[in-house]
Amino acid sequence: MRAGLSQVELSQRSGKDRAQIARWERDVVVPSLETLRELLRACGYDLELTLVPYEADRKQDARLQKALQRTPQERLQTMLRGRGR
Amino acid sequence: MAERFDPYALLEALERQRVTYIIIGGLGRVLHGSDELTDGLDIVPSTREENLRRLGLALEELNARRPDGKAPQLDRDLARGPLLELATDAGELKIVPEPAGTRGYDDLRRRARLEPLGRGLRPSVASLDDHARMLAALGREHDREPLLTLQRLIELEHELGRGISREIEL
Repeated sequence: MRAGLSQVELSQRSGKDRAQIARWERDVVVPSLETLRELLRACGYDLELTLVPYEADRKQDARLQKALQRTPQERLQTMLRGRGR
Repeated sequence: MAERFDPYALLEALERQRVTYIIIGGLGRVLHGSDELTDGLDIVPSTREENLRRLGLALEELNARRPDGKAPQLDRDLARGPLLELATDAGELKIVPEPAGTRGYDDLRRRARLEPLGRGLRPSVASLDDHARMLAALGREHDREPLLTLQRLIELEHELGRGISREIEL
């Protein structure tokens, strides 16, 4: 997207099948890390992977899991109640 | 956050005028489960002429004003910048024809979902992945926190999906 290429242009540059690029764009399938890197390089970018410490935020996870159990309508109501406080 | 914000009034006005649009931004993220507070509605309208005419009628109904206090002139205002910020009687309304990282309405429409919100409203909401895509494309420091929340929501949804699949298999 940032490179402003169409699927056909990306297909020509990367040598990947256009239909496959369309499936990646639609999230039907996810490209492997290696393929993703090839695609990015075809667009003039690269992917830098850096190892950083990670610690799960259990409190936030609990809040988000609770939110996921609600319907969108309930999520909206909860937010509106929060604004009123 | 004392500003008036009545998302139902905004959505009902858009519905009455049969405007075609997709919800994005803070409210879109909240509808997906993000635990943030928001005081405005951001929409990506279809930019077809008839739809913009209908949107204009909804804006009149909502008494929409530009930051300079004048009534918006959609054709001209949308051509001026990437977004149009309006104050209305029901709260803030942002019109974003082509959000960062997307190609606008037709791009987002493919993955958007109709979400029932009560009062007969079932607006179209951009997908969780597209919300993350838009925030990432903006690359703003203050969006880092909401972006991390969205990424975690995507992971939790996938875990939930895998859990449901396992239950079905059993």
